[in-house]
Amino acid sequence: MFRGFVAVAFGAAVLYGLQRTTPGYGEITSPIPVAGKPGQRVDATAFTIGIAKVHLVRAVTTKNVGRAGTFTTSGVWVLVEGAAEAKSESLTLMSAEWLGPNGIRYALSQRFSTVSGMLPAQRLEPGLPKPVLMAFEIPESQVSGGTLLVARSAWTPLEEQARIEMTGIKPDDIRPAAVLARGQGAVPWILSVE
Amino acid sequence: MSAEQHLTLRRRLLALLIAGVGAAAATAISFAMTVYEAANPKPVPVVAAGQPIDTGRWIITIRDARMGSTPPTGIKPFAPKKLLMVEFDLDNRSASTSNVFLRLFTIDPPVANLSPPTFYLARDKWIAGGLQPGMPERMIASWEWPSAVPQPQQLRLQIASQIYKRRDNLYGAPGWFDRDPVAVVALAVAPEAVATER
Repeated sequence: MFRGFVAVAFGAAVLYGLQRTTPGYGEITSPIPVAGKPGQRVDATAFTIGIAKVHLVRAVTTKNVGRAGTFTTSGVWVLVEGAAEAKSESLTLMSAEWLGPNGIRYALSQRFSTVSGMLPAQRLEPGLPKPVLMAFEIPESQVSGGTLLVARSAWTPLEEQARIEMTGIKPDDIRPAAVLARGQGAVPWILSVE
Repeated sequence: MSAEQHLTLRRRLLALLIAGVGAAAATAISFAMTVYEAANPKPVPVVAAGQPIDTGRWIITIRDARMGSTPPTGIKPFAPKKLLMVEFDLDNRSASTSNVFLRLFTIDPPVANLSPPTFYLARDKWIAGGLQPGMPERMIASWEWPSAVPQPQQLRLQIASQIYKRRDNLYGAPGWFDRDPVAVVALAVAPEAVATER
């Protein structure tokens, strides 16, 4: 009688443990990280990306690119300039997110989606590096300790994801304004920070 | 069959009977409770405009409603239109950027031939994209009001709610799922201001 009870209790404990520790669908199919640092080439199998400059500003004024006007935010604009290249086939990097130190993910702001050179608008060809621009809108508390996540798509399971740790960025670097204008040369934008 | 064997058989039968009756009672009570709850739904609380409402995924504060002919962009449409515009504050409480505004609220009772609203970001006076988590914004929902329907004086908005499931029932994937409406907001619709129009 007692031995039977112990066996049932043991079985229940084992099953409970299994249930608790089974990874969920989201974890099984989560992106495959490719770690990197700003200023370096981050090599995934399908694409390469490098981050050159990061600007923190309170307001962005657009001139001759997309819709003209001054774009304010309740937080901070993070403007990231870099270059990307496809490796074996043409592709577009549709997803970029700023992972804050609190674990919350801030996707690319769609308020600049019509500006030329934005990451999802750049079709990348193998062997031809192209300049890319990213704009994030984040609270000031999420500026330092952030991670940039770049992938072909935000939803495809087991997608490669460049994880670039954005070190050396602090709220002291926040500038009041920036102007985003149309570029003439290879870079389709000109970003001047005041 | 000995007397002892007879006794164990009777005991077993009795245990089976008790378990069966218990299960049947549990099923009947659960079924009756479901039927009763479906027959007597809890009244949805009526919330005044200006009060924040927690919908699970969002915190929404309905501000005001007005009729107009110019959308929030300020660009007058080519063909004259009647627009019903509702201003509200929205705060994304989830862990990622979201642009799923369409299921935030519905007009109660439903209006025939009403197409889904367009959502504008008041800050930009332009169509809203995804809303960043933890960064509340003033938004404007704009319905194109059918000309056959008289213009409303009063508006009842049913605020929907969503819950987060770490593992859904189909794939075990995390996601947000619709639940029953949490609140009803009744507010007066300001008629179109003719004097301020240029």
